[in-house]
Amino acid sequence: MKYDIVIVGSGPAGTVTGRFAAESGAKVLIVERRSEIGVPVLCGEGISRKIDEWDMLEGDRWIAGRMDGARIFSPDGTMVVLSAEVAGNETGYVVYRDIFDQELAKKAVKSGVKIMMNTQALGLIKEDGKIKGIKVKNFDKEMDIQCDIVVGADGVESRVGKWAGIDTTLKPNDLETCCQYTLTNCDVKDSYCDFYLGSKKAPGGYIWVFPKGNNVANVGIGILASLSESALAKKLLDEFIENDRRFEKAEPIRFLAGAVPVARPIESVRDNLILVGDSARQVDPITGGGLTHCLEIGKIAGEVIGKALKEKDFSQEFLSEYETRWKEIIGKKLKRNYMVKEILHEMEDKTLNMLADSLKDYKFDELSTLSLIKALVLKHPTLLMKLKPLLKLSEL
Amino acid sequence: MGKPKAEVDVSNCLACGGCISVCPNDAISMCAGKAFVDKDKCISCAICIRTCPVGAIRGEDY
Repeated sequence: MKYDIVIVGSGPAGTVTGRFAAESGAKVLIVERRSEIGVPVLCGEGISRKIDEWDMLEGDRWIAGRMDGARIFSPDGTMVVLSAEVAGNETGYVVYRDIFDQELAKKAVKSGVKIMMNTQALGLIKEDGKIKGIKVKNFDKEMDIQCDIVVGADGVESRVGKWAGIDTTLKPNDLETCCQYTLTNCDVKDSYCDFYLGSKKAPGGYIWVFPKGNNVANVGIGILASLSESALAKKLLDEFIENDRRFEKAEPIRFLAGAVPVARPIESVRDNLILVGDSARQVDPITGGGLTHCLEIGKIAGEVIGKALKEKDFSQEFLSEYETRWKEIIGKKLKRNYMVKEILHEMEDKTLNMLADSLKDYKFDELSTLSLIKALVLKHPTLLMKLKPLLKLSEL
Repeated sequence: MGKPKAEVDVSNCLACGGCISVCPNDAISMCAGKAFVDKDKCISCAICIRTCPVGAIRGEDY
């Protein structure tokens, strides 16, 4: 069996890369170890309005709700409201990720991509150290698939990167460990994504409430693995739901676990190989959001693959155009937000409360670091010292 | 008897992959849709046990 490209993983990063590679002339196969694309959902299902710009999804079956903005609650409950335009990656739409992923897959197939389900990647095929394809197991049948480029779109636990010598192991302080209930019969009426901060509520992370319409909501938690203990995420989430009157009569219709890389950007290219999506850590380290990145960067990956095929050059050097371009778009943001994440995690609850108190009346029509800091310091001058590291970052 | 090694309770594992991504010795992989610990590679660091959001991994004496 021979393809130009084999993509491991049928999430958004895999299918978007596949689609654009196929559209630039590549013969593409996606292998997926699970038996349904997008299932089980491993996601809070929030996405920014930015997705509208790319026009990659047909119809609106994938939309559960359109959000008016986000509300951030500090440890003492002080609320900061952000409109959808400035709330960034996590708010805009709440989606049905299973349908969302399947819609992207349909587009890929329309462009000529082949998909093989129930197929686990077992390892790379190498000849004289060069990647020549991939070994897979489809149900019980092992097979070798020859290809020019292997794409690792295999998520947070990526094996493909490791097989090619890219160290994708995450330190516990670079991983958010998550779980989430989808609750029905909630008393959640308005269209805001809510975020709750606090070292006791969600150490090194946050709790979220994302409404999906008809009194259904995703209520989830992410905590930093370095601050986690066995089953702590579930315990804290259960406590939150237990103590929130909106969920007094609510019952779960789904429970899921997830893991989100909140790491610095990594190398994503080798000879005959590229990584996309969570496997390349293309995730905002503050919010844990990565869906829009997958769409934007998957397109670039597909285009560069197309060029490589035309030139018959699959070297790391040639493919590095992909890495240069995606890092141009989000590299700076990821690096900066990684540092902000580190600073935020050092902050005591008291400081977060002060921050929220300074920001609660701030008009967020623009979110420049400087105007933000002015607002902060005006109300709580002592914050200036605590925010010094952030000030340095504003120069980046 | 050595230090306890990680053991996945497959009926509680929700296949999020968190344990796989933090294992410093590549001892965990997805097998039949659940996390699986290769005991020969497990170095008893317990990072996966602490990471699991639902408590599906525990230490087992060996």
